[in-house]
Amino acid sequence: MSQPSPAREGVRTLVSVVVIAITVLPLAWMLSLSFKSGDDINNAQFLPKTWSLDNYRTVFRNDLFTDALRNSIGISLIATAIAVACATGTAYAIVRMEFPGKRLILLGALAIAMFPTIAVVGPLFDMWRTIGLFDTWIGLILPYLSFTMPLSIWTLTSFFKQIPWALEDAARIDGASAWQAFRYVIAPMAVPAVVTTAILVFFFAWNDFVFSVSLTSTNNSRTVPAALAFFTGASQFQQPTAAIAAASVVVSVPVIVLVLVFQKRIVAGITSGAVKE
Amino acid sequence: MPRRHGLLAVALALVASVVVGCGGGGSGPPELNWYVPPDNGAYQKLADRCSRASGGAYRVKVSVLPTDASGQREQLVRRLAAKDSSIDVMALDPVYVPEFAEARFLRPFTAAEAPTLTDGMLSSAVESSEWRGRLVAAPFRANTQLLWYRKSVAAEAGLDLTRPIGWDDLITAAEKTHKTVAVPAKRYEGLTVWVNGLVTGAGGAIVRDVEKGVDLKPALREGGAGKRAAEVMRRLGRSSAAPANLATSIEDDTRTVFQSGSGGFMINWTYARGAAAEAVAGGQLSREVLDDYGWARYPQTDPDKPSKPPFGGISLGVSRYGKHAAEAVSAVRCAGTLENQITYMLESKETTARAAAYDDPGVRAALPMAGLIKESLDQAGPRPRTPYYNDVSASVQREYHPPADVDPNSAPRATDDLITGVLHDKVLL
Amino acid sequence: MSTASATRTAPRHRKPRKQLDHAQRMRRTGWLLSAPAVLIMLAVAIAPLVDAAWLSLFHKRLTTPDANSFAGLSNYWVVLKDPLWWTDVWTTLALTVLTVSVEFVIGFGLAQLMQRALYLRRTLRTIVLIPYGIVTVVSAYAWRYAFDPSTGFVNDWFGTDVAWFDHRWTALFVIALSEIWKTTPFMSLLLLGGLIQVSPDVHEAARVDGAGPWQRLTRVTLPIMKQAILVALLFRTMDAFRIFDSVFVMTGGANDTETVSFLAYRQLVSRTALGLGSAISVLLFACVLLIAFLFIKLFRTDVSKLGSPT
Repeated sequence: MSQPSPAREGVRTLVSVVVIAITVLPLAWMLSLSFKSGDDINNAQFLPKTWSLDNYRTVFRNDLFTDALRNSIGISLIATAIAVACATGTAYAIVRMEFPGKRLILLGALAIAMFPTIAVVGPLFDMWRTIGLFDTWIGLILPYLSFTMPLSIWTLTSFFKQIPWALEDAARIDGASAWQAFRYVIAPMAVPAVVTTAILVFFFAWNDFVFSVSLTSTNNSRTVPAALAFFTGASQFQQPTAAIAAASVVVSVPVIVLVLVFQKRIVAGITSGAVKE
Repeated sequence: MPRRHGLLAVALALVASVVVGCGGGGSGPPELNWYVPPDNGAYQKLADRCSRASGGAYRVKVSVLPTDASGQREQLVRRLAAKDSSIDVMALDPVYVPEFAEARFLRPFTAAEAPTLTDGMLSSAVESSEWRGRLVAAPFRANTQLLWYRKSVAAEAGLDLTRPIGWDDLITAAEKTHKTVAVPAKRYEGLTVWVNGLVTGAGGAIVRDVEKGVDLKPALREGGAGKRAAEVMRRLGRSSAAPANLATSIEDDTRTVFQSGSGGFMINWTYARGAAAEAVAGGQLSREVLDDYGWARYPQTDPDKPSKPPFGGISLGVSRYGKHAAEAVSAVRCAGTLENQITYMLESKETTARAAAYDDPGVRAALPMAGLIKESLDQAGPRPRTPYYNDVSASVQREYHPPADVDPNSAPRATDDLITGVLHDKVLL
Repeated sequence: MSTASATRTAPRHRKPRKQLDHAQRMRRTGWLLSAPAVLIMLAVAIAPLVDAAWLSLFHKRLTTPDANSFAGLSNYWVVLKDPLWWTDVWTTLALTVLTVSVEFVIGFGLAQLMQRALYLRRTLRTIVLIPYGIVTVVSAYAWRYAFDPSTGFVNDWFGTDVAWFDHRWTALFVIALSEIWKTTPFMSLLLLGGLIQVSPDVHEAARVDGAGPWQRLTRVTLPIMKQAILVALLFRTMDAFRIFDSVFVMTGGANDTETVSFLAYRQLVSRTALGLGSAISVLLFACVLLIAFLFIKLFRTDVSKLGSPT
């Protein structure tokens, strides 16, 4: 196993190619579908006969989609910022301080991570409609915070465990203020962890469908995944297949960019969840 | 940690700006929010015309609801249950009028307002807009299903479609010519439309005694109507005339099948030919297919009973929680005028509840089947009118789907029992 | 970075060495720092669950405000004796077992590949991550349109003529495919995290002792990875049990493809039957607890260690 043999490497490369192909196929299909128009949509072929950009025009002229894109970006970013901020505090406390209830927080977070999200939808709907949070940004941000918190606390805790905090004390002894010690010694080591966590949280919020479909009902706050499910054709009886494909491509772009840029970080973030260093 | 405060502050500022941004509301005429189904933007044009006609009394803003009736209902119910004041007028599928009225979501029209909204409207549309003897919504669109056929296929099968045709003969003709009978039969509201068309066509009804609320009487097992409906559906489901996607098809899927090489017959709403004409204009469909479009009255369930074409459409309800009731009523009235109805009909390809529009020469030219549509609407068999319609319909959909597997001997009884159980919270749906 | 120890010790608490008031201050700061996160979790996850338990005791519908009444435990009884609930439970379990087991096998292979491939390793690691980030609804639409007889290329490519969404098992197959495509990367990365811990020396030693590849896998690799495998399987199982988006998009629950989450959604949101829907919510929560309990029994893991990523 330790010495690479060319034959084995060949098989591995071949398998890699197959895996990459299967991974890319649905995306390529959506892309291809988004360039179809008219009867091409129902041609049951992979590629369009004629390539058209109509669907992208349709999608960007449709406030259902543009508003949803705005909501998705805004809500996901705000939820990410708040979740990571709160989780950073919690993870810092867990790693650096001794206080009763520490273990309980981690266990509670673990329990919430496994929560069947749909189970809180009914009560949330009932609460939100009474206090006026139904169909608002905050009404979605709150559940996102709650359900991304476990992931954030977990990931950040396992990252913070790896930071040599003794350096901070060393800097203090050398005469740095608490702020300086944090700013110049700890922050550079902690920031990558925070960025990684932020990406994972962002993906969660960007991806959510259950809350968005249950707790929103208009363009005020509906996010893209829910908007996709409510896409309409021009008339009451038409299927917006190609428009959905185009919209799908558009929402996948930021994700793909994030993955390409932060590939290493995301891998580190997920793998850290499974191991104890 | 100061950095945290910074982030929090930024986040809060963002939230605050959004909340303020969504507040809206300023000076100028009150803005009426209309929630409407998608209709090629014709609604927006109508709204603009009415805003202009009001001389600055109000401005209408249109928001689009989902495509399918139950999706539309779901959106509205959630907003109204949250007492949302930003809905002024809503376009309701008539089947949900009783439920919305019973839930006190609708502002009933006064005795003075009602006649101005119902005079000259088709009686089927008026009846479906009333609840407990009061007008709770204004008739607006009225829709029905026709039997669409390819003239070439009908000729090949030797069918004379100027005379009423039964479901059985229709399926036989399609089998003989190796063509399809496309019916929207996904498990959704459209399936109930089909079942109801078959059941009422056999002289039955899905439920009776609707005024008794949850104690209404499911009636599919009575007189064999439910059985007869199941027989037709099963026959088509298992026939070579069934399109491959029968059990998952919605309206426009049936149009795709109908316009393809295997197309023979289709059950669809009045919009179908208009949509085909649009596809021809856009270069996505050949002229021959459009010229091959023929239309006839909805097929008969029983050879000795006239068919009961489905009834659909839109009624306009004024929300109880809206802040501009008076303006909303006059906007609804404006939408219903003959002139606006004709223009709207030509723009949206949707048919109107106003009887006189069907005699208009412009409408006759655009919709050569206008006479047939009006006749179908006059003799339509509406779906049950109960505040529990959603549960009744979902029960029917559960037992009568997929069409190929409906058992004529057990489906009617099973559906009846399911409806009773569901309405009394004894069974899940 | 990695240790090859198969046994884990609980993190040792650092004893407070400073004077007492420092310990007190630290405790206060610790609580203060944790408070926002804890409060949010309590407010939006725990409180609604309590509320659901309360609501589940009533016959309550939003659209019939005059007809709401106390129901006691009858809602639970209605759900538990209803064949629909059990059909949905079996559907959900079938999907869960199918997707998680397939994902585990593929994910394990992928993890090995990502660890060992000489060529294309970076590309592989990057490309494989994309489905993880893709919105589930998008993935569901992509697979739905690919298999749909009128829009899709699948029947054309494979020479089949199947109406995939018309039959329970073919529809579930497509739903499972979409889920597998979307979540295998996550699984394989969690497993990769465990795989990294298996040092080559241990393998080498086993090889020298004459263990074959299969024995090395079952006797060396898997035991060392036990923790990672547990986390991966537990999280994915919980996730799969919640499956909702794909079903919503692909079949809308027709042809017995409805899952328990979808059932809850329909009662709560479509029917606005808050009483029955809440009873289902509470039962769902109980199912999740049960699954977690079984896992932990099965793996004989000390759960308290799970909660502390050390």
